[in-house]
Amino acid sequence: MQKVIVGNHAVSWGVKLARTEVIPAYPITPQTQIVEELSEMCASGELPARFIKVESEHSAMASAVGASAAGARAFTATSSQGLALMHEMLHWAAAARHPIVMADVNRALGPGWNIWTDQTDSLSQRDTGWLQLYCENNQEVLDTTIIAFRLAEALDLPVMLVLDAFYLSHTSEPVDIPDQALVDSFLPKREAHYKLDINEPHAFNALVKPDDYMEMRWHMHDAQRRALELYPQIESEWLALTGRYYGMIEPYRTDDAETVLITTGTVTSTARYVIDERRSRGEKVGLVKIKMFRPFPVEAMRAALKGIPRIAVIDRNISPGNGGIFAQELRSALYGSDSDAAPQFNGYIVGLGGRNVTPDTINGIIDHVQSGETVDRPDIWVGVKA
Amino acid sequence: MSQTIIKDRIPENELLMGGHLACPGCGGALAMRLVLKELGPKTIVVLPACCWSIIAGPYPQSSLKVPLYHTAFETGAAVASGIRAALDIQGQHDTNVIVWAGDGGTFDIGLQALSGAAERNEDFIYCCYDNEAYMNTGIQRSSATPWGAWTTTTPSKHPQATDKKDILAIMAAHRIPYAATASVSYPVDLVDKVKKAMSIRGTRFLHILAPCPPGWKFEDERAIDMGRMAVQSRVFPLVEVEHGTDWRFTMDPEHVPVQDYIRAQGRFRHLTDEQIGHISDAVDYRYEHLRDLAERSQAKV
Amino acid sequence: MSEQNFNTVPLHTPPLSVSSSSTEQNITGSWKYIQPAYHDRVAPCIAGCPTGVDIEGYMSLLRDGELSAAMELLQCENPMPAITGRVCNHPCESRCNRANYDGAVAIHAVERVLGDMILEEPLPHWTMRKHDERIAVIGSGPAGLACAYHLTRLGYNVEVFEKEEELGGMLRLGIPGYRLPREVLDSQIARYKAMGIIFHTGMRAGTDIGWPRLTTEFSAVFIASGAHVSRLLDLEGDCSRQSLRSGLDFLREVNAGGRPDIGKHALVIGGGNTAMDCARTALRLGAEVTVVYRRTRAEMPAIDEEIEDAAREGVKFEFLASPEKLSGTGGRLQLACTRMELGEPDAQGRRRPVPAGGEPLLLEADTIISAIGEDTGLHDLQAELADAKLAMNTWGCEKLARVFLGGDVAGDERTVASALGAGKRCAIYIDRQLRQQHGEDIPEERLEAIRIGGSESLSMARWTNSDPIMRVSPQNDVVQPADINTAYFPREPRHNDRHAALLKSFEESNTGITTRDALAEAARCYECGVCNECELCRIYCGEAAIQLDPGSGRFVIDLDHCKGCGVCTAECPRGALVMERLANMD
Repeated sequence: MQKVIVGNHAVSWGVKLARTEVIPAYPITPQTQIVEELSEMCASGELPARFIKVESEHSAMASAVGASAAGARAFTATSSQGLALMHEMLHWAAAARHPIVMADVNRALGPGWNIWTDQTDSLSQRDTGWLQLYCENNQEVLDTTIIAFRLAEALDLPVMLVLDAFYLSHTSEPVDIPDQALVDSFLPKREAHYKLDINEPHAFNALVKPDDYMEMRWHMHDAQRRALELYPQIESEWLALTGRYYGMIEPYRTDDAETVLITTGTVTSTARYVIDERRSRGEKVGLVKIKMFRPFPVEAMRAALKGIPRIAVIDRNISPGNGGIFAQELRSALYGSDSDAAPQFNGYIVGLGGRNVTPDTINGIIDHVQSGETVDRPDIWVGVKA
Repeated sequence: MSQTIIKDRIPENELLMGGHLACPGCGGALAMRLVLKELGPKTIVVLPACCWSIIAGPYPQSSLKVPLYHTAFETGAAVASGIRAALDIQGQHDTNVIVWAGDGGTFDIGLQALSGAAERNEDFIYCCYDNEAYMNTGIQRSSATPWGAWTTTTPSKHPQATDKKDILAIMAAHRIPYAATASVSYPVDLVDKVKKAMSIRGTRFLHILAPCPPGWKFEDERAIDMGRMAVQSRVFPLVEVEHGTDWRFTMDPEHVPVQDYIRAQGRFRHLTDEQIGHISDAVDYRYEHLRDLAERSQAKV
Repeated sequence: MSEQNFNTVPLHTPPLSVSSSSTEQNITGSWKYIQPAYHDRVAPCIAGCPTGVDIEGYMSLLRDGELSAAMELLQCENPMPAITGRVCNHPCESRCNRANYDGAVAIHAVERVLGDMILEEPLPHWTMRKHDERIAVIGSGPAGLACAYHLTRLGYNVEVFEKEEELGGMLRLGIPGYRLPREVLDSQIARYKAMGIIFHTGMRAGTDIGWPRLTTEFSAVFIASGAHVSRLLDLEGDCSRQSLRSGLDFLREVNAGGRPDIGKHALVIGGGNTAMDCARTALRLGAEVTVVYRRTRAEMPAIDEEIEDAAREGVKFEFLASPEKLSGTGGRLQLACTRMELGEPDAQGRRRPVPAGGEPLLLEADTIISAIGEDTGLHDLQAELADAKLAMNTWGCEKLARVFLGGDVAGDERTVASALGAGKRCAIYIDRQLRQQHGEDIPEERLEAIRIGGSESLSMARWTNSDPIMRVSPQNDVVQPADINTAYFPREPRHNDRHAALLKSFEESNTGITTRDALAEAARCYECGVCNECELCRIYCGEAAIQLDPGSGRFVIDLDHCKGCGVCTAECPRGALVMERLANMD
């Protein structure tokens, strides 16, 4: 079934098709449509889930933790300040190994108040133990929501799916809504590996002394790394059912490319347009879209970028004092992988707080990196007013 | 109540195991034991950070024979909401969900989540075992610390300068179906209240005073005595309120002077007789207020 | 180079903090330096009872509705509860731990109710075994009757020799009928006869039956001939007049049915029970009565209630007055008394009266009754016995084997309760001696083991291994008021005796309490020192370390997990738990 829906509603449809059981949520712009739609679905009985109208994002995540601990499939959604407020419970959900799925609509953090897109909110949660999947369009949003539950429940780790504020959340696109039966065959009912069970009582999360803490964190890290193998397998199943495949990363026209852009989210679509245009002019340019930020697909990126002489990372985020976060991650991943021919590696900061990233912005970046001006820093700010 | 009838009213369930890590004479440990006796094995306990985070035992141990979920300090009511939702979806409506939180996790950091859950009338029993300060971290004041008390953050020269927050009134103001005070020193009243709470759906709140020998500075063996004096002196009256409007005293034991209760505890050692007089006046004022509420409720019936 | 694992897979730690064991493996009991232990301790009423009645025991049986068992336990220790329930000075009540809370348990009144019920019951099966030995008892007062009763229960053949024509000794001669109705005394004695005790009345030992016969025909002799010789008042003047009477003779005459004319005014000299009995008897003969006593009200040895009753009935008191001189004109007697004041305490701790100086007090009367004490008259029996009481050691008379003394004659406290205790004690000594003659080895420790609360009293229930209370570890440690947790005992006023409206009659003046009140009083009993399984210790244990052992039906303390907080002991309503210092801490 094809429907023209906004990105937020694509999330809601994914949640519904996943037969989510408990949805604690608190409203924040620009996430609101997700929970409004889910609330409607629950109220109508279309989605037989418990919708808990919590009093804060902190409680939203805490309630999701509780629901997941009791064996239910739990979902919530938030943005920016809300995500920051959840921070403590993000660690809790991950280390307690709850396969919660959450949508984060990327929005800049205040102050000053800003409701527009910016990845710093989700990237700030880098070390919480959550998997992070960034989406480029509404179809991917819907598909990723369903895939995220499969992945989370296989690994006992929570998954955050990330979409740009407004450019996706409030933008309508035609989306293929898969049949419920198809989704059911892909994502069966959750079978919790650990849960609160009166017939088999256990205490969870009790004090762990230095003797065992490190081992438990090893397991969490290990589960993250296993996602690198598992994710492509799951997506392959989805491909077989729907014909759609995204990959942890997606190289686009990188064959023989001499300049490769690294993009995430909706910037990717803009960049595809620029790449196509410049390719038509015979330029050897391509891009690699990063969908999966955690775990970071180090090997896949090394393979995709092998022999590429010029790399330009476009970051719609900033880690103050260092630079773009994807740039840092990628540079660290590539270190020593091709020691004979270290590429030119420029990091560009663009579009913070929702500033528009246009084909012109991308073209400027390509021109800049191709000019050979090596700044060798991951923080070349693009378009800052004098 | 005469000693001879108490035992018949306390259920046999024994869901607390020995070897837990409570201090000797801990009112909080006993409170859990008594409450679980009434709740029985079909119970899931949510435990935000508090003394009980330690009492329950470190990994890989548990001191409870029921499922127990340790959670972050301010999340008791929210986690319980999630568990309840999951159980309801699974059809486990007859499993009790309880939050077992200290005064810090209830009066202070957990109040927002508790208020949210109470307003939604979430179906669980929230038990606050109140030892009147952050005891697990080493006796720092909370908003449950009574006026005049010494703690490590309210030293004797500048003791607690504000009155204990009236958490029961706050909960009653949420119009939840059932809220009550209880004490380990009145075990029958306590288990009766648990039983009554179990017969009701929605948010039920039990405020259980849990005397703390190291925090209040009294001899271990006087733990029950201290709780009893708190009730007898009317510092901690035993009441219940339904739907925020129907108030009633559940026990009206022999009265002892506030002075007896205060002077029995080292945390009040620095107080003058005049200051104790102020406490006594405040206790009387609140007691009168409760009596008015109870009388008005009675008149309605 | 240090040995470190690199990239080892942690196979044995789960991926999250999930429990797989319990805290029970933590020996938190090692934190403690003191620990609770159940001790069955002695209730102060029992410790204070010269008869050695297991008061707490029968109260507990009554509370449990075990009326027959309560009566059985009572008469196991006390041969005449209907009598002591009327005339005992009940030191049990003054020592009752409830006394200063809301009034002592009305033990005395409860005992009377039970005693009267026992008189209506058939005789229980007394004898556990039968012995061939015959035992002589001299005197049928309370000590003699008690010894005869207990020995009969123990299976001996007992013969009682009484010099008077009627049985009962001081119970009959000394105690007026308005305190002890004759029907009660007669019913009680009838039961002794029914038990098989042989009574010989009108037989004075030493004359009517000679000492050699007593010691050859009987395997043991118990002498309880009492103190029946009135001490003479040492006065200036002519003391031979008919109107100066010995108190005991006066009581004897009236108690036998005589109604002598004593005129309008009577003086009674003395402050003991005999003096009170004389005063109230004189009152009933129509006289106005004044008691003259050398000391004050506080020093009077008479039972408090008797003094109160006398005062209520209209007896007047002249305290701090010591009679010195008797004179008389025209049938009226004049008694001159020296005014006294209290000086230093004497050996018993009572303040000694010393002359205060000043004018003597002059009292007039038609009759003067002297009730200043009685002597034993032991020399009537056998010269060498006069000193024998001095030779009584703890367990009998060393000088004269097989001869035992008890009661007033032996210098025991002159109360019915003491006499009954002495009778029981000597019955046990005699039993032990005779059984040892048959080759049984009964060491003194066995006697110590049945001693109650460090007093002289011995427990017949424990001697015969028939204690229904089955105390776990009887200690001689007496429960103090501070050991009682009064929180579990709502204040409840005591049920007091009722008094007949009609005063100055020879009918029984105290009508006692009802059976219902007696049961209510039993429910007021703290049951000091003996676990009655109220379970508060278990309920309040925050460690869940006290559990009921299904095998023994007793509580057991899991010392591996008891942290020694002491809450169980503090909350025990009755002091049946004590905190003991751990041996390795000493």
